[in-house]
Amino acid sequence: MSKAPYEYSGKLRWPRLGQDLAIVAWPSFLVASVATMVCFGFIDPVLIGNDDYPPPAFQTRMTGYAVGFFFFWLIAALSSLMTLYLVRTAHPEPADEGTDDGTRSPE
Amino acid sequence: MSEVQAPVGGELYAARQKIYPREIKGRFQRLRVYAVFALLGLYYVLPWLRWGERQAVLFDLPARKFHIFALTLWPQDFYFLTWLLIIAALALFFFTALAGRLFCGYACPQTVWTETFVWIERWVEGSRTQQIKLAKAPLSGAKVLRKGTKYFLWFAFALWTGFTFVGYFTPITELAGKMASFSTGPWETFWVLFYGGATYVNAGFMREQVCKYMCPYARFQSAMFDKDTLIITYDEKRGEPRGARKKGTDHKAANLGDCVDCTVCVQVCPTGIDIRKGLQYECIACAACIDACDEVMEKVGYPKGLIRYDTQHGLEGQPKQVVRPRTIVYASLIVVLIAGFAYTITHRNVVAIDVIRDRNALFRELPGGLIENVYNVKILNKDDEEHEFSISADGLPGLQIDYGEDEVEVGPGEVQSVAVRLRVPRGQLQGGSDIHFTIRTRDERALEATGKARFLAPTN
Repeated sequence: MSKAPYEYSGKLRWPRLGQDLAIVAWPSFLVASVATMVCFGFIDPVLIGNDDYPPPAFQTRMTGYAVGFFFFWLIAALSSLMTLYLVRTAHPEPADEGTDDGTRSPE
Repeated sequence: MSEVQAPVGGELYAARQKIYPREIKGRFQRLRVYAVFALLGLYYVLPWLRWGERQAVLFDLPARKFHIFALTLWPQDFYFLTWLLIIAALALFFFTALAGRLFCGYACPQTVWTETFVWIERWVEGSRTQQIKLAKAPLSGAKVLRKGTKYFLWFAFALWTGFTFVGYFTPITELAGKMASFSTGPWETFWVLFYGGATYVNAGFMREQVCKYMCPYARFQSAMFDKDTLIITYDEKRGEPRGARKKGTDHKAANLGDCVDCTVCVQVCPTGIDIRKGLQYECIACAACIDACDEVMEKVGYPKGLIRYDTQHGLEGQPKQVVRPRTIVYASLIVVLIAGFAYTITHRNVVAIDVIRDRNALFRELPGGLIENVYNVKILNKDDEEHEFSISADGLPGLQIDYGEDEVEVGPGEVQSVAVRLRVPRGQLQGGSDIHFTIRTRDERALEATGKARFLAPTN
């Protein structure tokens, strides 16, 4: 088989980016909820940072919780997004059309 | 009725067609109604209950205290939540192994709120056929009015849901006043709208799509099935070949099975599947098709149970084994964990100590050959009544303690910080040594707690 298994188009395409963003947003929301609960179960947000110069986000607990939640959401989403990016933009596996005995054709 | 069926095969991302579940009555639907009333009743009523001076159930995030009736939980009690989650997970395993997606069909918030939204829809727009007709009808004043009424009722119900949700975290009577005068704070406004909006979209529009595309449990629940799990199933041997028949004909002679192919089981399905094709991952086990088919079987005079709860073994004509090692092990684990949980939470230590070394100086050398270390001792009183505490320290010979007064009063649910000075004659130690602080109440209950700290001294 001399046929090229795939054609390289020269630019990186990310099919169905919109749907993928939704797939990323929802699980990272769940993970961020759990992470926020566990994290602030142990850590009081007003104790975060240097005592003498507390960051403005951690001066009250409610803002602390909220900032923490959105931070976790962002981090979890970034990780999922990167995973999906690597999966979606990988070169496709060569088509399994090759041999008669069902084994995959060599690349 | 092909219009209710989800597209089979073809495009992966075919546009969703709205499902209009037909109303059905029956024993399982009655159970579901009870479940909706019990669960939603609990949800909407709980934050209004009082316990003495305070709201009975209040998760006070700004104060980092969770009040649940007589119980007040502190961040230190966090492990109780972990314990609860383990019990919940085991219960999910147990019920799934026992009878499949019982949780989805009867208890999942998505199902429960969707049910209420469907009721509102039916109340305003009428039966399934009327709803389909209305959707197809050209735009008119009457249509706008009906649809508008539905959306308004949904909106009001969702807003009330969001308000109740926030009422678990901030005193609900105050919140009600603020809502009435449009003076809620930014976080309250945000979360009322967020939770209300999520309810509106999930129960009004997303519905079964949440189960199909968003729910992780729906994907892995089948791993907990075995051949003795009760599932909702169509008795193919009895039903096929299906087909319409005239009343009074001997269908067996006409080579027909018991299924009269009325498609009512498909019309009542909230996820739009045909149970006769076998158990599918979309099935949320609401048992609407069982009730629907039983009603039809009764009408045509055949025995009930063409669609029923059965096990795979049962369908193959083998004995059913609902009580089996797997379910017994899960059940006993749950009982043990719940008993342990109940014991620990009622016998937990209601006093706690937290020791922080003074950060300004490692140690101080006093005249008279003494080394002094200063600590900030925090005493937590998680009890409902005030206690007087004495503080002691041990771990080094000749250790002297000084905290100003004889005893420290700490009110119910309060934390008291005490500056404590420890002194040791020089030469008793070099470098550092571990010591222990103990607090003890002065009443007959003698509650106590111990905290570890480090005493530092010069190395020479």
